[in-house]
Amino acid sequence: MAERSIMLHILEPRRDAYGFALRPQHTHRYREYANIYKEEEEERCYKWKNFLDQVATSFQVCPLEEANTNILQAETSEHKEEIRSRRSSTGDDSTGSNSESVDTTDSSPTKLLEYPIEIQKRVVETWCQIRPSLNAIEIMMSSRVKKKIMKDEKTINGGDHLPPLEEAETLDGTSVANSEEDEACISGSLTRSTSATGAESRMGECMSNSVKPSKRDGVVAERVSHDQLFTWQEELECLVRGGLPKDLRGEVWQAFVGVKTRRIEKYYQDLLDQETNCSADNENNIPSGVPIKLKKQIEKDIPRTFPGHPALDENGRDSLRRLLLAYALHNPSVGYCQAMNFFAGLLLLLMPEENAFWTLVGIIDDYFDGYYTEEMIESQVDQLVFEELMRERFPKLVKHLDYLGVQVAWFSGPWFLSIFVNMLPWESVLRVWDVLLFEGNRVMLFRTALALMELYGPALVTTKDAGDAITLLQSLAGSTFDSSQLVLTACMGFLTVTEVRLVELREKLRPSVLAVIEERTKKGRVWKDSKGLASKLYSFKHDPGSPAEKKKKAAGADAGPCTPNLDDFLSGLAGDSETESLPDLQEQVVWLKVELCRLLEEKRSAVLRAEELETALMEMVTQDNRRLLSARVEQLEIEVAELKKTLAEKKEQEVAMLQLLMRVEQEQRVTEEARINAEQDVAAQKYAVHMLQDKYEKAMASLAEMEKRVVMAESMLEATLQYESGQVKATSSPRSRNQGSAQENQRKISLLPFALGWRDRNKGKSTEEPSE
Amino acid sequence: MGCSSSVPDRASGRSGGLNPENSAADSKNLRVKLVLLGDSGVGKSCIVLRFVRGQFDPTSKVTVGASFLSQTIALQDSTTVKFEIWDTAGQERYAALAPLYYRGAAVAVIVYDITSSDSFAKAQYWVKELQKHGSPDIILALVGNKADLQEKRKVTVQDGTEYAEKNGMFFIETSAKTADNINELFEEIAKRLPRPTSS
Ligand SMILES: Nc1nc2c(ncn2[C@@H]2O[C@H](COP(=O)(O)OP(=O)(O)OP(=O)(O)O)[C@@H](O)[C@H]2O)c(=O)[nH]1
Ligand SMILES: [Mg+2]
Repeated sequence: MAERSIMLHILEPRRDAYGFALRPQHTHRYREYANIYKEEEEERCYKWKNFLDQVATSFQVCPLEEANTNILQAETSEHKEEIRSRRSSTGDDSTGSNSESVDTTDSSPTKLLEYPIEIQKRVVETWCQIRPSLNAIEIMMSSRVKKKIMKDEKTINGGDHLPPLEEAETLDGTSVANSEEDEACISGSLTRSTSATGAESRMGECMSNSVKPSKRDGVVAERVSHDQLFTWQEELECLVRGGLPKDLRGEVWQAFVGVKTRRIEKYYQDLLDQETNCSADNENNIPSGVPIKLKKQIEKDIPRTFPGHPALDENGRDSLRRLLLAYALHNPSVGYCQAMNFFAGLLLLLMPEENAFWTLVGIIDDYFDGYYTEEMIESQVDQLVFEELMRERFPKLVKHLDYLGVQVAWFSGPWFLSIFVNMLPWESVLRVWDVLLFEGNRVMLFRTALALMELYGPALVTTKDAGDAITLLQSLAGSTFDSSQLVLTACMGFLTVTEVRLVELREKLRPSVLAVIEERTKKGRVWKDSKGLASKLYSFKHDPGSPAEKKKKAAGADAGPCTPNLDDFLSGLAGDSETESLPDLQEQVVWLKVELCRLLEEKRSAVLRAEELETALMEMVTQDNRRLLSARVEQLEIEVAELKKTLAEKKEQEVAMLQLLMRVEQEQRVTEEARINAEQDVAAQKYAVHMLQDKYEKAMASLAEMEKRVVMAESMLEATLQYESGQVKATSSPRSRNQGSAQENQRKISLLPFALGWRDRNKGKSTEEPSE
Repeated sequence: MGCSSSVPDRASGRSGGLNPENSAADSKNLRVKLVLLGDSGVGKSCIVLRFVRGQFDPTSKVTVGASFLSQTIALQDSTTVKFEIWDTAGQERYAALAPLYYRGAAVAVIVYDITSSDSFAKAQYWVKELQKHGSPDIILALVGNKADLQEKRKVTVQDGTEYAEKNGMFFIETSAKTADNINELFEEIAKRLPRPTSS
């Protein structure tokens, strides 16, 4: 029995505190970090509680809240359980259970099941408001959502992201950042309108629907002054970088994404009804339902979303399906894209179904606008942007990767598309999401990726071939258990990577991606060829060199060191078009040349503009000299240094311990050997003793035998003696002569027993031996 | 279980020899970039995991973007081949990213599911795409996976064989579940690799 259970234990894949499977090679490291996580969690629970208390008292957002908090401090977990179920059943938000009641000691998967179990119990529509203590954060964050929605109304298709918080608060901000973003929005909507579908305008409708003020409750917002909001925001930012407490995470994420502001009553339920009606009515691909193709894809992916996670049982999967179908209906320009299954799954583990829906809407529609659509434009643009940043930040590393033939997008693509889900350990994924959702854009995506390069670049430059480099990076990223180090490096190490900067780079690089796609859609028959050409163009574009040089190349004039690339490109063009008619080819060459020139021109001007803007930005930054910030940076840097020092110390200790351990082990081995030797000796001696005993016994036996014989011989001798003495008596005459012989006889007799014994013994021996 | 190869010496038709960046090293130790393409859910990830780790997990994870694994095998002639395998995402829209991974690959393994005609059609799309945009001397392999599901078969062995023959591809039916023909697939590919003409 016992053995069986041990076997089961081994067979069952190990899971972390969140119920996610751990890779076997990581179980050990995970266990090492589990305690650190626990300590961090305790600390952040305390900090968050203080923060929320402070916010609650200073703004009196909800006067009841404090009392509740105090009561809750004394409450046991049973109470908590009850409160939770009450909350989930009534949707009532009056309980306000607080962070300090988080049960940090119990991180077993069963505990985490609480939410999913709630999900099971609920009927389809499941919505509950977040605790009132988070209202202030929600109000603060929703201001940017409102602003975004307003912007969307103006431009139909919005910019990529939520406006930065500062901007959202000064509602009519006229900072450079703002005008930059507006520009981005406009050009974004212009470029996208070429590929716009009816679907997208539908989405616009949805968004504008959601602005109707009657459905919102932003009344409290006016009570909160902007100054105070700003100081909070600073503090909040710090806290977010330190990570969210487990029990608050789901709700705080909703506050960050602005779920309450986004939510439209009954919208989710309507989508679900629409979907069920459609699939019941009609098997055909009628426009109002989710396309069959996407439905099939969703079905394929549901069982492959966190397989084996205890919470994703049948009910969990039903929730997941509803969520994905509803989103596909809500935003047909995205529909469903692989990766969203993981996001939806993750959100469902942290919050009720409808809340998860609105959070997903926020993430995909705003944060990752244009990422998961059919063309995946923004995703491709971001890859180019990231590569550019890499070249700027880690020129040596990129050079090495170039040398190995590794393209940055090979690994950054999967990182960005999955928002690091399945790429980093869970604790790190969640910490990155904390910051990303707080910031309202994709800056954290870049910063995290850059931090990973900073952490693992030194190891990467030692690799000898492409395969080894990728394998190493994958495994290093997968074992980034030190999530605090990762987030800190990301947030403090790459301060120049800002949304403004990213918007600029995107603007600069987007045309090359769009050109490929435009080509694909424009020339139906030829698109595949042009795609090939475009991909060559892509690698051409990536050829390092100044714009001027490239221009020369484009003109095809100089046979400089870079021209082979162009030759390749042209010969590739010829090769590719073998099957096509000749005029087509010429057309293409001309078109491509023109396009190339245009692109290069664009690039050059973009570079110039970027430089201008950068200097402007630098000026702004210096003017805007926020001593607070730099002080904090300093402080954090000191902290980092300290952490590093302690880490080094720890490592030293570890090494010392290891050496000690090794020595002890060696000693142990020596003693063990000695023990074994001694044992062998003992055994040998025992054996010898045994042998001796045997011999002794045998000897004793033969002694006894001999004694018996002696006795016999003696009795025989006696008999003989008696006989002889009889004879002597009979022949006693002449007495004088026999006097001497009698004496002689006497002597004979005394010798006899010995002689007899000796003879007997010899005789006995010779008779016994053969019989043995 | 169909296992047929067609056009025995493909390399003779085209210029042999590999691109230095695709595969390298000396004549005894080859290094090959291989890419797996095909519809979602046909079992690409399962095939790789079976080949590299010797495991089959019926609840594999959806591949987002692409994932990388490598595995070295030894051949009878005492050469070793290190496969650098890119397993790509199957959903149609991810095809936009595929060139990133198949560009410069020496081998493309195109997988379909024998229980799905759609996936066979998708495989044909990939064959065309690679014939146009892959490396000119790329080795193409057509793989019909899930061969253990005979009773649900929709694509016959003959369909696969004929299509492969027409396009000068190597064809094999595999099962990641039972491990049938998985090693054979990669060994067969290894044998077809043009050897660097040693000096
Ligand atoms: N019966 C059977 N099932 C298989 C076999 N190979 C894969 N499967 C099943 O098919 C499912 C999908 O396999 P994956 O390897 O994840 O598919 P994929 O091609 O990588 O899909 P994407 O990552 O979406 O592109 C798995 O969950 C397995 O259960 C096989 O040989 N036989
Ligand atoms: Mg896969």
